[in-house]
Amino acid sequence: MEPILSVQNLNKYYGDQVGCKNMNMTLYPGEVVGVVGESGSGKTTFINSISGNLNPDSGKILINKDNEIINFLEISESLKRLLIRTELAFVHQNPRDGLRLDISAGGNISERLMSIGHRNYGNIRQTIFKWLDKVEIDKSRVDDFPRTFSGGMLQRLQIAKNLVTSPKIIFMDEPTGGLDVSVQAKILDLLRKLVRELNLSVVIVSHDLAVIRLLADKIIVMKNGEAVESGLCDQVLDDPQHSYTQLLVSSVLQV
Amino acid sequence: MNNVLKFKNKKANVAAQDEIYNFAYLDENTKRMIRRALIKALCIPGYQVPFSSREMPMPYGWGTGGVQVTSSCLTTDDVLKVIDQGADDTTNAVSIRNFFKKTANIETTETTGDASIIQTRHRIPEKQLNEKQILVYQVPIPEPLAFLEPRYQETKKMHALSEYGIMHVKLYEDITKNGHIETAYAYPVKTNDRYIMDPSPIPKFDNPKMNNNPAIQLFGAGREQRIYAIPPYTEVTSLDFEDYPFDPSKAPHKCSICGSNDSFLDEIITDDDGNRSFICSDTNYCNQRMKDK
Repeated sequence: MEPILSVQNLNKYYGDQVGCKNMNMTLYPGEVVGVVGESGSGKTTFINSISGNLNPDSGKILINKDNEIINFLEISESLKRLLIRTELAFVHQNPRDGLRLDISAGGNISERLMSIGHRNYGNIRQTIFKWLDKVEIDKSRVDDFPRTFSGGMLQRLQIAKNLVTSPKIIFMDEPTGGLDVSVQAKILDLLRKLVRELNLSVVIVSHDLAVIRLLADKIIVMKNGEAVESGLCDQVLDDPQHSYTQLLVSSVLQV
Repeated sequence: MNNVLKFKNKKANVAAQDEIYNFAYLDENTKRMIRRALIKALCIPGYQVPFSSREMPMPYGWGTGGVQVTSSCLTTDDVLKVIDQGADDTTNAVSIRNFFKKTANIETTETTGDASIIQTRHRIPEKQLNEKQILVYQVPIPEPLAFLEPRYQETKKMHALSEYGIMHVKLYEDITKNGHIETAYAYPVKTNDRYIMDPSPIPKFDNPKMNNNPAIQLFGAGREQRIYAIPPYTEVTSLDFEDYPFDPSKAPHKCSICGSNDSFLDEIITDDDGNRSFICSDTNYCNQRMKDK
Protein backbone atom coordinates (compact mmCIF):
# COMPACT_ATOMS: atom_id res chain seq x y z
CA MET A 1 0.00 0.00 0.00
CA GLU A 2 1.24 3.51 -0.87
CA PRO A 3 1.31 6.21 1.81
CA ILE A 4 -1.29 8.93 1.23
CA LEU A 5 0.99 11.57 2.71
CA SER A 6 4.72 11.50 3.17
CA VAL A 7 6.82 14.25 4.70
CA GLN A 8 10.56 14.22 4.12
CA ASN A 9 13.22 16.30 5.87
CA LEU A 10 10.91 19.18 6.57
CA ASN A 11 12.42 22.34 8.08
CA LYS A 12 10.78 25.52 9.22
CA TYR A 13 12.68 28.33 10.89
CA TYR A 14 11.46 31.62 12.30
CA GLY A 15 14.54 33.71 11.67
CA ASP A 16 17.20 31.97 13.77
CA GLN A 17 14.62 30.17 15.86
CA VAL A 18 13.86 26.56 15.04
CA GLY A 19 10.18 25.95 14.32
CA CYS A 20 10.64 22.32 13.40
CA LYS A 21 13.70 20.57 12.09
CA ASN A 22 14.34 17.52 9.94
CA MET A 23 10.83 16.14 10.34
CA ASN A 24 9.78 12.91 8.62
CA MET A 25 6.40 11.24 8.58
CA THR A 26 4.46 8.72 6.53
CA LEU A 27 0.71 8.47 6.74
CA TYR A 28 -1.09 5.49 5.23
CA PRO A 29 -4.78 5.52 4.25
CA GLY A 30 -6.99 4.93 7.25
CA GLU A 31 -4.17 5.60 9.66
CA VAL A 32 -4.03 8.08 12.54
CA VAL A 33 -0.70 9.64 13.44
CA GLY A 34 -0.44 11.51 16.72
CA VAL A 35 2.09 14.26 17.35
CA VAL A 36 2.82 14.94 21.03
CA GLY A 37 5.17 17.20 22.91
CA GLU A 38 5.17 20.06 25.39
CA SER A 39 4.20 23.63 24.62
CA GLY A 40 6.69 25.20 22.22
CA SER A 41 8.01 21.87 20.99
CA GLY A 42 7.01 22.67 17.39
CA LYS A 43 3.88 20.53 17.07
CA THR A 44 1.72 23.31 15.70
CA THR A 45 4.46 24.60 13.40
CA PHE A 46 4.78 21.08 12.02
CA ILE A 47 1.06 20.56 11.37
CA ASN A 48 0.69 24.05 9.91
CA SER A 49 3.66 23.44 7.61
CA ILE A 50 2.31 20.19 6.21
CA SER A 51 -1.27 21.41 5.79
CA GLY A 52 -0.54 24.50 3.71
CA ASN A 53 -1.06 27.07 6.48
CA LEU A 54 2.66 27.85 6.68
CA ASN A 55 5.37 27.76 4.05
CA PRO A 56 8.20 25.49 5.22
CA ASP A 57 11.78 26.47 4.35
CA SER A 58 12.84 23.16 2.89
CA GLY A 59 11.75 19.55 2.61
CA LYS A 60 9.21 17.59 0.65
CA ILE A 61 5.52 16.94 1.15
CA LEU A 62 4.13 14.27 -1.17
CA ILE A 63 0.38 13.74 -1.37
CA ASN A 64 -1.06 10.72 -3.13
CA LYS A 65 -4.20 11.78 -4.95
CA ASP A 66 -5.81 8.91 -6.83
CA ASN A 67 -2.42 7.24 -7.39
CA GLU A 68 -0.88 10.47 -8.58
CA ILE A 69 1.92 11.83 -6.40
CA ILE A 70 1.62 15.57 -5.90
CA ASN A 71 4.55 17.55 -4.59
CA PHE A 72 2.59 19.87 -2.34
CA LEU A 73 5.29 22.52 -2.03
CA GLU A 74 5.85 22.89 -5.74
CA ILE A 75 2.34 23.08 -7.16
CA SER A 76 0.62 26.32 -8.13
CA GLU A 77 -1.24 28.40 -5.57
CA SER A 78 -4.58 27.67 -7.24
CA LEU A 79 -4.09 23.88 -7.22
CA LYS A 80 -2.86 24.09 -3.65
CA ARG A 81 -5.96 25.94 -2.52
CA LEU A 82 -8.16 23.53 -4.47
CA LEU A 83 -6.49 20.61 -2.66
CA ILE A 84 -6.95 22.38 0.67
CA ARG A 85 -10.66 22.80 -0.11
CA THR A 86 -11.26 19.27 -1.35
CA GLU A 87 -8.66 16.70 -0.34
CA LEU A 88 -7.46 18.21 2.93
CA ALA A 89 -9.23 19.47 6.02
CA PHE A 90 -7.98 21.37 9.03
CA VAL A 91 -9.72 21.28 12.39
CA HIS A 92 -8.56 24.20 14.52
CA GLN A 93 -8.19 24.06 18.27
CA ASN A 94 -10.48 27.06 18.56
CA PRO A 95 -13.55 26.31 16.41
CA ARG A 96 -14.13 30.04 16.02
CA ASP A 97 -11.02 30.13 13.82
CA GLY A 98 -12.51 27.59 11.44
CA LEU A 99 -16.10 28.83 11.30
CA ARG A 100 -17.87 31.93 10.06
CA LEU A 101 -19.74 33.11 13.12
CA ASP A 102 -22.17 35.42 11.32
CA ILE A 103 -23.33 32.68 8.97
CA SER A 104 -25.78 29.97 10.06
CA ALA A 105 -24.60 26.46 10.97
CA GLY A 106 -26.00 25.14 7.68
CA GLY A 107 -24.31 27.90 5.71
CA ASN A 108 -20.99 27.01 7.32
CA ILE A 109 -21.33 23.37 6.36
CA SER A 110 -22.42 24.25 2.83
CA GLU A 111 -19.49 26.54 1.99
CA ARG A 112 -17.08 23.83 0.90
CA LEU A 113 -19.82 22.15 -1.14
CA MET A 114 -20.64 25.30 -3.05
CA SER A 115 -16.99 26.12 -3.57
CA ILE A 116 -16.64 22.90 -5.55
CA GLY A 117 -19.68 23.67 -7.64
CA HIS A 118 -22.80 22.33 -5.91
CA ARG A 119 -25.69 24.49 -7.07
CA ASN A 120 -28.83 22.67 -5.97
CA TYR A 121 -30.26 24.13 -2.78
CA GLY A 122 -32.39 21.07 -2.00
CA ASN A 123 -29.50 18.64 -2.34
CA ILE A 124 -27.16 20.89 -0.35
CA ARG A 125 -29.77 21.06 2.40
CA GLN A 126 -30.03 17.25 2.48
CA THR A 127 -26.25 16.91 2.77
CA ILE A 128 -26.20 19.44 5.61
CA PHE A 129 -28.83 17.45 7.54
CA LYS A 130 -26.91 14.24 6.95
CA TRP A 131 -23.78 15.79 8.44
CA LEU A 132 -25.52 17.42 11.37
CA ASP A 133 -26.85 13.97 12.16
CA LYS A 134 -23.37 12.45 11.86
CA VAL A 135 -21.86 14.89 14.32
CA GLU A 136 -24.88 14.63 16.61
CA ILE A 137 -26.17 18.17 16.36
CA ASP A 138 -29.95 18.47 16.47
CA LYS A 139 -31.43 19.21 13.03
CA SER A 140 -33.49 22.04 14.47
CA ARG A 141 -30.29 24.04 15.02
CA VAL A 142 -29.45 24.14 11.30
CA ASP A 143 -30.39 27.80 10.83
CA ASP A 144 -28.95 29.05 14.12
CA PHE A 145 -25.79 31.07 14.26
CA PRO A 146 -22.66 29.36 15.61
CA ARG A 147 -22.35 32.01 18.30
CA THR A 148 -25.40 30.50 19.98
CA PHE A 149 -23.65 27.10 20.17
CA SER A 150 -21.77 25.65 23.13
CA GLY A 151 -18.03 24.93 22.89
CA GLY A 152 -18.53 21.24 22.22
CA MET A 153 -21.20 21.86 19.60
CA LEU A 154 -18.97 24.41 17.88
CA GLN A 155 -16.20 21.84 17.63
CA ARG A 156 -18.59 19.25 16.21
CA LEU A 157 -19.86 21.82 13.73
CA GLN A 158 -16.31 22.57 12.66
CA ILE A 159 -15.71 18.88 12.10
CA ALA A 160 -18.86 18.60 9.96
CA LYS A 161 -17.89 21.69 7.98
CA ASN A 162 -14.54 20.13 7.20
CA LEU A 163 -15.66 16.61 6.42
CA VAL A 164 -18.59 17.47 4.17
CA THR A 165 -16.53 17.23 0.96
CA SER A 166 -15.06 13.87 2.06
CA PRO A 167 -11.44 15.00 2.30
CA LYS A 168 -8.84 12.24 2.41
CA ILE A 169 -6.45 13.75 4.95
CA ILE A 170 -7.56 15.51 8.11
CA PHE A 171 -5.25 17.68 10.19
CA MET A 172 -6.35 18.38 13.75
CA ASP A 173 -4.61 20.81 16.06
CA GLU A 174 -5.67 20.05 19.64
CA PRO A 175 -9.28 19.34 18.64
CA THR A 176 -10.33 18.82 22.25
CA GLY A 177 -8.28 21.60 23.85
CA GLY A 178 -10.32 23.89 26.05
CA LEU A 179 -13.26 21.52 26.40
CA ASP A 180 -14.31 19.93 29.68
CA VAL A 181 -13.63 16.22 30.07
CA SER A 182 -17.11 14.88 29.38
CA VAL A 183 -17.44 16.96 26.22
CA GLN A 184 -13.90 15.92 25.30
CA ALA A 185 -14.91 12.29 25.64
CA LYS A 186 -17.90 12.86 23.37
CA ILE A 187 -15.79 14.54 20.69
CA LEU A 188 -13.17 11.80 20.88
CA ASP A 189 -15.87 9.17 20.60
CA LEU A 190 -17.26 10.95 17.56
CA LEU A 191 -13.85 11.33 15.94
CA ARG A 192 -13.03 7.67 16.48
CA LYS A 193 -16.35 6.67 14.94
CA LEU A 194 -15.83 8.93 11.89
CA VAL A 195 -12.26 7.76 11.38
CA ARG A 196 -13.40 4.13 11.27
CA GLU A 197 -16.57 4.75 9.27
CA LEU A 198 -15.05 6.97 6.59
CA ASN A 199 -11.59 5.43 6.61
CA LEU A 200 -10.00 8.83 7.24
CA SER A 201 -6.28 9.44 7.40
CA VAL A 202 -5.56 11.81 10.26
CA VAL A 203 -2.65 13.77 11.66
CA ILE A 204 -3.58 14.88 15.16
CA VAL A 205 -1.58 17.17 17.39
CA SER A 206 -2.13 17.12 21.13
CA HIS A 207 -0.29 17.61 24.37
CA ASP A 208 -2.74 15.17 25.93
CA LEU A 209 -1.33 11.61 25.82
CA ALA A 210 -4.74 10.13 26.62
CA VAL A 211 -6.23 11.68 23.49
CA ILE A 212 -3.40 10.34 21.36
CA ARG A 213 -3.56 6.91 22.91
CA LEU A 214 -7.27 6.69 22.22
CA LEU A 215 -7.13 7.79 18.58
CA ALA A 216 -3.66 7.27 17.15
CA ASP A 217 -2.02 4.24 15.58
CA LYS A 218 1.42 5.81 15.34
CA ILE A 219 3.02 8.53 17.38
CA ILE A 220 5.73 11.15 16.94
CA VAL A 221 7.21 12.72 20.09
CA MET A 222 8.60 16.21 19.56
CA LYS A 223 10.94 18.31 21.65
CA ASN A 224 12.65 21.60 20.73
CA GLY A 225 11.42 21.33 17.16
CA GLU A 226 12.71 17.81 16.54
CA ALA A 227 11.21 14.34 16.62
CA VAL A 228 12.92 12.54 19.48
CA GLU A 229 11.02 9.30 19.19
CA SER A 230 8.44 7.74 16.90
CA GLY A 231 6.76 4.40 16.37
CA LEU A 232 3.60 2.48 17.11
CA CYS A 233 1.50 4.32 19.65
CA ASP A 234 1.13 1.52 22.21
CA GLN A 235 4.76 0.55 21.91
CA VAL A 236 6.12 4.04 22.45
CA LEU A 237 3.78 4.84 25.31
CA ASP A 238 4.25 1.49 27.07
CA ASP A 239 7.98 1.30 26.57
CA PRO A 240 9.35 4.79 26.06
CA GLN A 241 13.04 4.83 25.09
CA HIS A 242 13.96 8.50 25.00
CA SER A 243 14.29 10.21 28.36
CA TYR A 244 11.89 12.97 27.34
CA THR A 245 9.22 10.46 26.33
CA GLN A 246 9.71 8.71 29.64
CA LEU A 247 9.21 12.01 31.43
CA LEU A 248 6.12 12.76 29.35
CA VAL A 249 4.55 9.36 30.04
CA SER A 250 5.29 9.53 33.73
CA SER A 251 3.84 13.05 33.99
CA VAL A 252 0.33 11.93 33.11
CA LEU A 253 -1.96 12.41 36.07
CA GLN A 254 -3.65 9.27 37.27
CA VAL A 255 -7.17 9.54 38.56
CA MET B 1 -4.41 83.72 -12.18
CA ASN B 2 -7.71 81.98 -11.55
CA ASN B 3 -9.24 85.18 -10.32
CA VAL B 4 -8.21 86.99 -13.44
CA LEU B 5 -9.74 84.28 -15.63
CA LYS B 6 -12.90 84.27 -13.60
CA PHE B 7 -13.12 87.99 -13.93
CA LYS B 8 -12.56 87.80 -17.66
CA ASN B 9 -15.33 85.23 -18.03
CA LYS B 10 -17.73 87.27 -16.02
CA LYS B 11 -16.99 90.34 -17.98
CA ALA B 12 -17.45 88.75 -21.35
CA ASN B 13 -20.43 86.75 -20.02
CA VAL B 14 -19.13 83.70 -21.83
CA ALA B 15 -21.84 81.18 -22.41
CA ALA B 16 -19.33 78.75 -23.87
CA GLN B 17 -17.11 76.39 -21.84
CA ASP B 18 -15.88 77.99 -18.65
CA GLU B 19 -12.24 78.68 -19.46
CA ILE B 20 -10.87 78.20 -15.99
CA TYR B 21 -11.41 74.48 -16.33
CA ASN B 22 -9.80 72.04 -18.72
CA PHE B 23 -12.32 70.37 -21.04
CA ALA B 24 -14.66 68.26 -18.85
CA TYR B 25 -12.97 69.42 -15.63
CA LEU B 26 -10.16 66.83 -15.28
CA ASP B 27 -6.71 67.61 -16.64
CA GLU B 28 -5.49 65.64 -19.65
CA ASN B 29 -2.97 63.54 -17.70
CA THR B 30 -5.62 62.35 -15.30
CA LYS B 31 -7.97 61.54 -18.17
CA ARG B 32 -5.22 59.53 -19.85
CA MET B 33 -4.63 57.58 -16.63
CA ILE B 34 -8.34 56.83 -16.33
CA ARG B 35 -8.63 55.85 -20.00
CA ARG B 36 -5.80 53.38 -19.51
CA ALA B 37 -7.68 51.87 -16.57
CA LEU B 38 -10.83 51.76 -18.71
CA ILE B 39 -9.09 49.93 -21.53
CA LYS B 40 -7.67 47.40 -19.11
CA ALA B 41 -11.10 46.96 -17.56
CA LEU B 42 -12.66 46.37 -20.97
CA CYS B 43 -10.02 43.76 -21.79
CA ILE B 44 -10.77 41.82 -18.58
CA PRO B 45 -14.56 41.98 -18.19
CA GLY B 46 -15.62 42.28 -14.55
CA TYR B 47 -12.08 42.68 -13.20
CA GLN B 48 -11.64 45.62 -10.83
CA VAL B 49 -8.83 47.88 -12.00
CA PRO B 50 -7.40 50.18 -9.33
CA PHE B 51 -7.00 53.80 -10.40
CA SER B 52 -5.85 56.93 -8.72
CA SER B 53 -9.17 58.60 -8.03
CA ARG B 54 -9.13 62.41 -7.84
CA GLU B 55 -10.87 64.80 -5.53
CA MET B 56 -13.94 66.01 -7.34
CA PRO B 57 -16.00 69.10 -6.52
CA MET B 58 -18.70 66.94 -4.90
CA PRO B 59 -18.76 64.60 -1.91
CA TYR B 60 -17.86 60.92 -2.15
CA GLY B 61 -20.99 58.89 -2.63
CA TRP B 62 -22.46 61.42 -5.05
CA GLY B 63 -21.00 59.84 -8.14
CA THR B 64 -17.38 60.93 -8.10
CA GLY B 65 -16.34 57.67 -9.78
CA GLY B 66 -18.96 57.96 -12.49
CA VAL B 67 -18.12 61.63 -13.09
CA GLN B 68 -14.42 60.85 -13.54
CA VAL B 69 -15.21 58.08 -16.04
CA THR B 70 -17.65 60.31 -17.92
CA SER B 71 -15.12 63.13 -17.96
CA SER B 72 -12.50 60.83 -19.46
CA CYS B 73 -14.86 59.56 -22.17
CA LEU B 74 -16.42 62.87 -23.23
CA THR B 75 -15.56 64.45 -26.56
CA THR B 76 -16.94 67.70 -27.92
CA ASP B 77 -19.40 65.76 -30.13
CA ASP B 78 -20.94 63.80 -27.27
CA VAL B 79 -24.51 64.16 -26.11
CA LEU B 80 -24.82 63.50 -22.39
CA LYS B 81 -27.74 62.16 -20.41
CA VAL B 82 -27.59 61.79 -16.64
CA ILE B 83 -30.11 59.82 -14.63
CA ASP B 84 -30.52 59.21 -10.93
CA GLN B 85 -32.75 56.25 -10.04
CA GLY B 86 -34.04 56.43 -13.61
CA ALA B 87 -35.07 60.09 -13.40
CA ASP B 88 -33.56 62.99 -15.35
CA ASP B 89 -34.90 65.67 -13.02
CA THR B 90 -33.54 64.71 -9.61
CA THR B 91 -30.92 66.78 -7.82
CA ASN B 92 -27.96 64.52 -8.52
CA ALA B 93 -28.80 64.14 -12.20
CA VAL B 94 -29.44 67.84 -12.74
CA SER B 95 -26.24 68.84 -10.92
CA ILE B 96 -23.99 66.47 -12.83
CA ARG B 97 -25.58 67.47 -16.14
CA ASN B 98 -25.00 71.14 -15.32
CA PHE B 99 -21.45 70.35 -14.21
CA PHE B 100 -20.56 68.98 -17.64
CA LYS B 101 -22.55 71.65 -19.44
CA LYS B 102 -20.39 74.19 -17.65
CA THR B 103 -17.00 72.47 -17.85
CA ALA B 104 -17.29 70.84 -21.28
CA ASN B 105 -19.98 72.87 -23.00
CA ILE B 106 -21.43 69.73 -24.52
CA GLU B 107 -24.97 69.07 -25.57
CA THR B 108 -27.18 67.31 -23.04
CA THR B 109 -30.43 65.46 -23.47
CA GLU B 110 -33.08 63.63 -21.53
CA THR B 111 -33.92 61.33 -24.43
CA THR B 112 -32.23 57.95 -24.02
CA GLY B 113 -32.01 57.34 -27.77
CA ASP B 114 -30.28 60.67 -28.45
CA ALA B 115 -27.52 60.30 -25.87
CA SER B 116 -24.06 58.98 -26.68
CA ILE B 117 -22.99 58.81 -23.03
CA ILE B 118 -25.42 58.07 -20.22
CA GLN B 119 -24.24 58.40 -16.65
CA THR B 120 -26.50 56.54 -14.30
CA ARG B 121 -27.08 56.03 -10.64
CA HIS B 122 -28.88 52.78 -9.79
CA ARG B 123 -30.80 52.12 -13.03
CA ILE B 124 -30.41 50.97 -16.60
CA PRO B 125 -32.73 52.84 -19.00
CA GLU B 126 -35.78 50.86 -20.18
CA LYS B 127 -35.05 51.63 -23.82
CA GLN B 128 -32.64 49.15 -25.43
CA LEU B 129 -29.20 50.77 -25.81
CA ASN B 130 -27.22 50.61 -29.05
CA GLU B 131 -23.61 50.14 -30.15
CA LYS B 132 -22.92 53.87 -30.26
CA GLN B 133 -23.71 54.40 -26.61
CA ILE B 134 -21.70 54.23 -23.39
CA LEU B 135 -23.41 53.60 -20.08
CA VAL B 136 -21.45 54.88 -17.06
CA TYR B 137 -22.47 53.53 -13.65
CA GLN B 138 -21.79 55.22 -10.32
CA VAL B 139 -20.59 52.55 -7.91
CA PRO B 140 -20.46 52.87 -4.12
CA ILE B 141 -18.83 49.50 -3.26
CA PRO B 142 -17.21 47.69 -6.18
CA GLU B 143 -16.18 44.54 -4.30
CA PRO B 144 -18.99 41.93 -4.38
CA LEU B 145 -17.23 39.89 -1.70
CA ALA B 146 -16.73 42.86 0.65
CA PHE B 147 -19.50 41.97 3.08
CA LEU B 148 -18.45 38.32 3.21
CA GLU B 149 -14.68 38.66 3.42
CA PRO B 150 -13.43 41.91 4.92
CA ARG B 151 -9.74 41.42 3.99
CA TYR B 152 -9.01 43.08 0.65
CA GLN B 153 -5.89 40.96 0.06
CA GLU B 154 -7.98 37.85 0.54
CA THR B 155 -10.76 38.95 -1.84
CA LYS B 156 -8.12 39.69 -4.46
CA LYS B 157 -6.85 36.17 -4.10
CA MET B 158 -10.37 34.76 -4.25
CA HIS B 159 -10.99 36.58 -7.53
CA ALA B 160 -7.66 35.49 -8.94
CA LEU B 161 -8.36 31.83 -8.15
CA SER B 162 -12.12 31.96 -8.85
CA GLU B 163 -12.89 30.92 -5.28
CA TYR B 164 -16.49 31.97 -5.29
CA GLY B 165 -18.15 29.41 -3.00
CA ILE B 166 -18.78 32.05 -0.35
CA MET B 167 -20.91 34.09 -2.77
CA HIS B 168 -23.42 31.25 -2.93
CA VAL B 169 -23.30 30.95 0.85
CA LYS B 170 -24.85 34.42 0.91
CA LEU B 171 -27.63 33.29 -1.42
CA TYR B 172 -28.03 30.11 0.64
CA GLU B 173 -28.53 32.22 3.76
CA ASP B 174 -31.10 34.30 1.90
CA ILE B 175 -33.17 31.27 0.91
CA THR B 176 -32.85 29.75 4.36
CA LYS B 177 -34.05 32.90 6.09
CA ASN B 178 -36.71 34.03 3.64
CA GLY B 179 -37.62 31.06 1.48
CA HIS B 180 -36.33 32.87 -1.60
CA ILE B 181 -33.33 34.91 -2.65
CA GLU B 182 -34.01 38.18 -0.87
CA THR B 183 -31.23 40.23 -2.50
CA ALA B 184 -33.16 42.71 -4.63
CA TYR B 185 -30.46 45.17 -5.69
CA ALA B 186 -26.70 44.92 -6.26
CA TYR B 187 -27.46 41.31 -7.17
CA PRO B 188 -24.12 39.61 -7.92
CA VAL B 189 -23.38 38.58 -11.50
CA LYS B 190 -20.74 36.55 -13.27
CA THR B 191 -19.16 38.34 -16.22
CA ASN B 192 -17.92 36.45 -19.27
CA ASP B 193 -18.02 33.24 -17.18
CA ARG B 194 -15.07 34.42 -15.10
CA TYR B 195 -15.26 37.32 -12.65
CA ILE B 196 -18.02 37.82 -10.12
CA MET B 197 -19.03 41.45 -10.23
CA ASP B 198 -21.18 43.86 -8.28
CA PRO B 199 -23.48 45.52 -10.81
CA SER B 200 -23.76 48.59 -8.51
CA PRO B 201 -27.04 48.99 -6.67
CA ILE B 202 -29.31 48.62 -9.70
CA PRO B 203 -32.49 46.64 -9.01
CA LYS B 204 -32.13 42.98 -9.99
CA PHE B 205 -34.92 43.75 -12.46
CA ASP B 206 -32.20 45.42 -14.57
CA ASN B 207 -29.71 42.55 -14.36
CA PRO B 208 -30.87 40.81 -17.57
CA LYS B 209 -30.32 44.08 -19.48
CA MET B 210 -26.58 43.87 -18.81
CA ASN B 211 -26.34 40.56 -20.62
CA ASN B 212 -25.31 40.83 -24.28
CA ASN B 213 -25.86 44.58 -24.27
CA PRO B 214 -24.60 46.29 -27.47
CA ALA B 215 -23.47 49.36 -25.47
CA ILE B 216 -20.22 49.70 -23.56
CA GLN B 217 -20.84 49.53 -19.81
CA LEU B 218 -18.32 51.27 -17.55
CA PHE B 219 -18.32 51.27 -13.75
CA GLY B 220 -16.53 53.90 -11.66
CA ALA B 221 -16.11 53.84 -7.88
CA GLY B 222 -14.48 57.09 -6.75
CA ARG B 223 -14.00 56.55 -3.04
CA GLU B 224 -12.93 52.93 -3.50
CA GLN B 225 -10.71 53.86 -6.46
CA ARG B 226 -11.82 51.05 -8.74
CA ILE B 227 -12.93 50.89 -12.36
CA TYR B 228 -14.48 47.90 -14.08
CA ALA B 229 -16.33 47.29 -17.29
CA ILE B 230 -18.48 45.06 -19.46
CA PRO B 231 -17.59 45.20 -23.17
CA PRO B 232 -20.41 45.08 -25.74
CA TYR B 233 -22.13 41.73 -26.28
CA THR B 234 -20.67 40.09 -23.16
CA GLU B 235 -22.39 37.32 -21.30
CA VAL B 236 -23.54 38.47 -17.85
CA THR B 237 -25.35 35.91 -15.72
CA SER B 238 -26.96 36.41 -12.33
CA LEU B 239 -25.94 33.88 -9.69
CA ASP B 240 -28.58 31.42 -8.52
CA PHE B 241 -29.35 27.83 -7.56
CA GLU B 242 -30.72 25.16 -9.90
CA ASP B 243 -33.86 24.86 -7.79
CA TYR B 244 -34.05 28.57 -6.99
CA PRO B 245 -33.41 30.20 -10.37
CA PHE B 246 -32.79 33.93 -10.73
CA ASP B 247 -36.02 35.91 -10.85
CA PRO B 248 -35.84 39.58 -11.99
CA SER B 249 -39.19 40.20 -10.24
CA LYS B 250 -41.42 43.21 -10.70
CA ALA B 251 -44.12 44.97 -8.71
CA PRO B 252 -47.48 43.50 -9.84
CA HIS B 253 -48.82 46.86 -10.99
CA LYS B 254 -49.05 49.15 -13.99
CA CYS B 255 -47.56 52.63 -14.24
CA SER B 256 -50.40 54.94 -13.23
CA ILE B 257 -49.22 57.60 -15.70
CA CYS B 258 -48.39 55.75 -18.90
CA GLY B 259 -49.89 52.36 -18.08
CA SER B 260 -46.67 50.47 -18.87
CA ASN B 261 -46.78 46.89 -17.74
CA ASP B 262 -43.13 45.99 -18.16
CA SER B 263 -41.07 48.86 -16.74
CA PHE B 264 -39.51 49.16 -13.30
CA LEU B 265 -41.88 51.01 -10.98
CA ASP B 266 -41.44 53.45 -8.09
CA GLU B 267 -43.94 53.22 -5.28
CA ILE B 268 -45.38 56.56 -4.22
CA ILE B 269 -47.44 57.14 -1.09
CA THR B 270 -50.13 59.58 -2.14
CA ASP B 271 -51.81 60.52 1.15
CA ASP B 272 -51.89 59.92 4.89
CA ASP B 273 -54.31 56.98 4.54
CA GLY B 274 -51.66 54.74 3.04
CA ASN B 275 -52.93 55.01 -0.54
CA ARG B 276 -50.20 54.44 -3.01
CA SER B 277 -49.59 54.48 -6.70
CA PHE B 278 -46.87 53.17 -8.94
CA ILE B 279 -45.09 55.09 -11.67
CA CYS B 280 -42.21 54.33 -14.03
CA SER B 281 -38.84 55.05 -12.45
CA ASP B 282 -37.46 55.84 -15.94
CA THR B 283 -38.99 59.30 -16.47
CA ASN B 284 -37.89 59.60 -20.08
CA TYR B 285 -39.45 56.25 -20.97
CA CYS B 286 -42.69 57.30 -19.31
CA ASN B 287 -42.82 60.75 -20.98
CA GLN B 288 -42.03 59.25 -24.37
CA ARG B 289 -44.89 56.79 -24.03
CA MET B 290 -47.29 59.61 -23.13
CA LYS B 291 -46.10 61.63 -26.11
CA ASP B 292 -46.60 58.68 -28.47
CA LYS B 293 -50.18 58.36 -27.26
